Amino acid sequence: MARRIGSDIGGTFTDLVMVSDDGQDFAIAKVLTTPTEPDRAVVDGVDQLLSANDVDASAVAHLVHGTTLFTNALIERKGAKTALVTTKGFRDAVEIAREHRFDMYDLRMERPAPIAPRHLRFEVDERVMADGSVHLPLDEASVAALVPQLAAAGVEAIAVCLLHAYRNDAHERRVGEILAAALPSVAISLSCDVNPEIREYERASTTLCNVYVRKIADVYLHRLERRLQDRGLSGPLYVMQSQGGVCDIDTATALPIRLVESGPAAGALAAAAYGDLIGAKNLLSFDMGGTTAKACLILDGEPLIAPDFEVDRTYRFTKGSGLPVKVPVIEMIEIGAGGGSLVTLDAMGRLAVGPQSAGAEPGPVSYGRGGTQPTVTDADLTLGYLDPTYFLGGTMALDTEAAAAAVDATVAKPLGLDTLAAAHGVHRLVNENMASAARIHAVERGTDVAKLPLFAFGGAGPVHAYGVASILGSPSVVYPLGAGVMSAAGLLSAPLSFDFVRTMPAGLDAMDWDAVNAALSTMEADGAKILSRATDPSTLTFTRSADVRYRRQGYELRVPAPSGTLTEADRPAIQAAFEDAYRTIYGQTPSNVELDVISWRVVVSGPRPGLSLPKAAVSGTDAATAQKGSRRIYVGSSMVDVPVYDRYALGEGATFQGPAIVEERESTVVIAGPGKARVDAHANLIVNLR
Amino acid sequence: MALDQLQLEVIWNRLIATVNEQAAALMRTSFTSIVREAGDLSAGVFDRSGRMVAQAVTGTPGHINSMATSMGHVLAEFPVDTLAEGDVIITNDPWKTASQLNDITIFTPVFKAGRCVAFFANCCHALDIGGRGLSADSREIYEEGLQIPILKLYEAGKPNKTLYAMLTANVRATEEVLGDLHSQVVGNEVGAKQLLSFLDEFGLDDIEEVSEAIVSRSEAAMRERIAALPDGEYPFTMTTDGFDEPITLAANVIITGDQLTVDYAGTSPAIDRGINVALNYTAAYTTYGIKCAISPDIPNNDGSFRPVTVTAPKGCIVNCEHPSPVGGRHLVGHFLPSVVFGALSKILPQNVMAASFDALWDSQVYGDRPEGGRFAYVWFAAGGAGAIHGRDGLSATAFPSGIAGVQSEMIEALVPIHIEKRELLADSGGPGEWRGGLGQAFTLGVRGDRPFLFSGLYDRMNNPAEGIAGGMPGAVGTLHTKTGNPLRAKTRVPLPANETVTLELPGGGGFGAPHHRAPEAVARDVRDGYVSLNSARKNYGVELDPTTYEVDLAKTEALRATR
Repeated sequence: MARRIGSDIGGTFTDLVMVSDDGQDFAIAKVLTTPTEPDRAVVDGVDQLLSANDVDASAVAHLVHGTTLFTNALIERKGAKTALVTTKGFRDAVEIAREHRFDMYDLRMERPAPIAPRHLRFEVDERVMADGSVHLPLDEASVAALVPQLAAAGVEAIAVCLLHAYRNDAHERRVGEILAAALPSVAISLSCDVNPEIREYERASTTLCNVYVRKIADVYLHRLERRLQDRGLSGPLYVMQSQGGVCDIDTATALPIRLVESGPAAGALAAAAYGDLIGAKNLLSFDMGGTTAKACLILDGEPLIAPDFEVDRTYRFTKGSGLPVKVPVIEMIEIGAGGGSLVTLDAMGRLAVGPQSAGAEPGPVSYGRGGTQPTVTDADLTLGYLDPTYFLGGTMALDTEAAAAAVDATVAKPLGLDTLAAAHGVHRLVNENMASAARIHAVERGTDVAKLPLFAFGGAGPVHAYGVASILGSPSVVYPLGAGVMSAAGLLSAPLSFDFVRTMPAGLDAMDWDAVNAALSTMEADGAKILSRATDPSTLTFTRSADVRYRRQGYELRVPAPSGTLTEADRPAIQAAFEDAYRTIYGQTPSNVELDVISWRVVVSGPRPGLSLPKAAVSGTDAATAQKGSRRIYVGSSMVDVPVYDRYALGEGATFQGPAIVEERESTVVIAGPGKARVDAHANLIVNLR
Repeated sequence: MALDQLQLEVIWNRLIATVNEQAAALMRTSFTSIVREAGDLSAGVFDRSGRMVAQAVTGTPGHINSMATSMGHVLAEFPVDTLAEGDVIITNDPWKTASQLNDITIFTPVFKAGRCVAFFANCCHALDIGGRGLSADSREIYEEGLQIPILKLYEAGKPNKTLYAMLTANVRATEEVLGDLHSQVVGNEVGAKQLLSFLDEFGLDDIEEVSEAIVSRSEAAMRERIAALPDGEYPFTMTTDGFDEPITLAANVIITGDQLTVDYAGTSPAIDRGINVALNYTAAYTTYGIKCAISPDIPNNDGSFRPVTVTAPKGCIVNCEHPSPVGGRHLVGHFLPSVVFGALSKILPQNVMAASFDALWDSQVYGDRPEGGRFAYVWFAAGGAGAIHGRDGLSATAFPSGIAGVQSEMIEALVPIHIEKRELLADSGGPGEWRGGLGQAFTLGVRGDRPFLFSGLYDRMNNPAEGIAGGMPGAVGTLHTKTGNPLRAKTRVPLPANETVTLELPGGGGFGAPHHRAPEAVARDVRDGYVSLNSARKNYGVELDPTTYEVDLAKTEALRATR
């Protein structure tokens, strides 16, 4: 029986999941991440999985990999020494950026430094106009003249981003050829390949980020591939992209920026796959870990995709404070703090949580490793939500008294509250903040979040999900078994896919359909070529869309575009699709305003693999047999005695009512209210709040 | 019910989330680029008595702080108990709101069980309001467009057709302006719906008790900050280019116990051009400067404004009277935070920035499209911000306005403007231990073979951004043709076909004596071309190897010994 393996590298652990095509096997491995050589942990994990389950390496059809390695390289600035080559007169576009302040009151505001410092930003003589016409031909001598300077500066990577290259890439390609011939060991990325979209700052930033991590991606992915082959895994290595599809490593090493947020994105894919299995096409995935909580809307079975995101934000929660990267990503929004986030009182004596985190070292006060400032985890422990003797399955003892004392000193005493009220204030505030952020995000997307079930995972997700759901008015919360390896499982539900975009702004009322059809066919042919390396071309699907906006409005909406050869007859369909989308989000459409299409997009995908989940391990519908004890937790406004259930002993069909606690190794489900819980056929715990 | 502290915080957070939601909806639906891309709008919630309780985190201080006081004027016109469910109130009175006719404020009372329990309001920049269009050329407000007194836009849910007809007849981009108005009305409704739902959740009849707690705590926190400052008078004077004559902006910051007053006595009189400022906008930018310096972490609401008083003699340029023109009021108003910083630098030198380029550079080009038809294009650009203790000033970054610029490719894709160059200007940042931010230079022309008109509403072309604590001033701005002929700013200049214009935006002031700047930091600046070798030697007292940029320590020490 063929097996597939998903592996996700996190900060502390590398998670692996192996499934068989018949859905019988669902094996998990968790090994410590090996930061200096992350592929080592993957290979070790694969070894563990194979030997523990007595599976031969040759039975593994393929391995899908997700990693935050490239994000980390960008944040820690550990990439290549990178130069920018641009049109004469425009080398500062990446530093002038958007000219704005993203924090109105902070006079010490800082921006992230451009990837290429000013002395490594070079100019060539050439000029293409906005319509693609050539104003000044490329002076090849001006390119050749850069070679000795680039070599002398020890440049390892070059981003080429010429003005209007999204419209006419001839100069950019020629610059690339000349530099590649003269500097064969230097990585080169062209903006027309990485991000052929209008706006020179974002395009250059994306191209710089891409080439900055190319060498790392090249070395790392090829070494991983070799090591897996040495182990006898002969199937292909696939890599997860940020938009929820996988690609082969040739594509990944050319465009590593497409992989940047792949780990968290896989968690959202898992939510979508589980939702599919349990018949919930719409849900809100809620992933709360040690330092952050992230949410993603899953609508009609698909996670929402955003056209861009930011890396290396100088202000964690502030839009505009990072380097823009224009690649499609599953839209994960950071909605708040994590378990390790620090609790403080601000200047006005108001409670504040995060964004500073105690991290793994020293960690929360209750870890007893020198932390003195209370964290969310310390408040949760004080409230009885966590078992001090069964944290991480009992492998780490927690100090409840120290946690309570810290909450008392930092929060209760200054505010004149008792310790429990203070701890609950922290728990509640964290939940409130996450609920507010999620609600605003949903409103922006034209969705009523109160209608969506929550899908809770991550170490702290199940501890807080019930509280968040109560505030949002959610109908239910789904707690998957194995919440700790959700991202790895999600990798196995990702199809092969690749995205293309062409910016060609024009009024919908004056469209050059021949040009549009040419662009669409080129993108589709390119996609078929890339994906045919890894899958049967007859299984590919092509999904077109257009970025459309009202003339003079600033935001485009992405709407589906018809397939086949487009003509004037397709105009009403595109217009209607846009108006539908607009109405969903904004409630109404203005009359008599013309539409502009800014860009055309194509997504080429292979078939989506099904993710089969194992059946519940035990049978029997009596929850009482799974009760391993009871303990006092904070419910409403006092401590009450509630049953504690063993997650692994709850069989399909078991039901019980909250308040209650359900413990598993990597997390604790806290039901601090009267929700009705049941276990489904896939060992998911589903709690209904209504 | 009596609220405990934690409940109060939960409700407070909900109020802030609600107004942010209101603002987000507005930004996404606006037809006006500076609203949606730069966040040139404000949104807030007020209690029954008109006190602002919470406001959205949005772009520009001028809107935010002036909206706070506008509610009082509305209640004076329409007392709370005369309002009915479904009423919506509108005004653009510059003296009661944001000091410009394009800034329209919409107020919506919220009713629960037949009683008005709160108001939502928002202020947005309308694309057009009739008159001359946005400019500083008018001699009286009557030329600047349609004045809308405090009126009902909706009465008990019914649109005021007379008013709509007047609006439609008086503005150019009717669809966009009315579309934006509709968004403003809907934005308030979104806020109202959220508010009512959580009042129910918490079993509250209104927000009076919450409001009282929020306002009094914010006020107390603000008073505590002011009381920590030494009592005294701290005068400061800044000169700006003005329209024809230089303008003196004189401020006296007076601290008495827990009360802070800023008085603008001694400031130049209003002029017959549209750069005058109504007092509420003066107060908005003044309080903004104070907040940045002493209380960036205290929430903005009625309480935090209370301990601060802003006064100015009637008829001076920061307290102009009707019918003075105000269309380009930012050309004076944007300097006020730097004026406040100058005064506060005497007691809080480490909390304030040196002066910045301050007033946004507003460029306008009018010409013919090569393919036929006219075009007009207006955009804002930023020079350098001032340095602060511990940080160099930000280059090409707006301050105090939070507005975002437009990228060259976007400009060229929209209109036949051709940009030849856009780069940071070496040596434009004021030298200092922390260097001022650099200005930027644009060189541009118009494609085709037709003459065009260029107009730049620019300042700091004669009066640079001064440094603080020994820091030196930033470079002044310039405007000239490719052959070097200077052009006049603040007026429309006709230019022949194929002419190009170069604008060099001013830099920010430096902080601290330049010869205290770390020599390695100077070396990095020279290597990156932010500072010239000559300036390194002359202003910073640092001698460098011109090819390796290594610091010659002996020569540097010798140069610095003479300072």
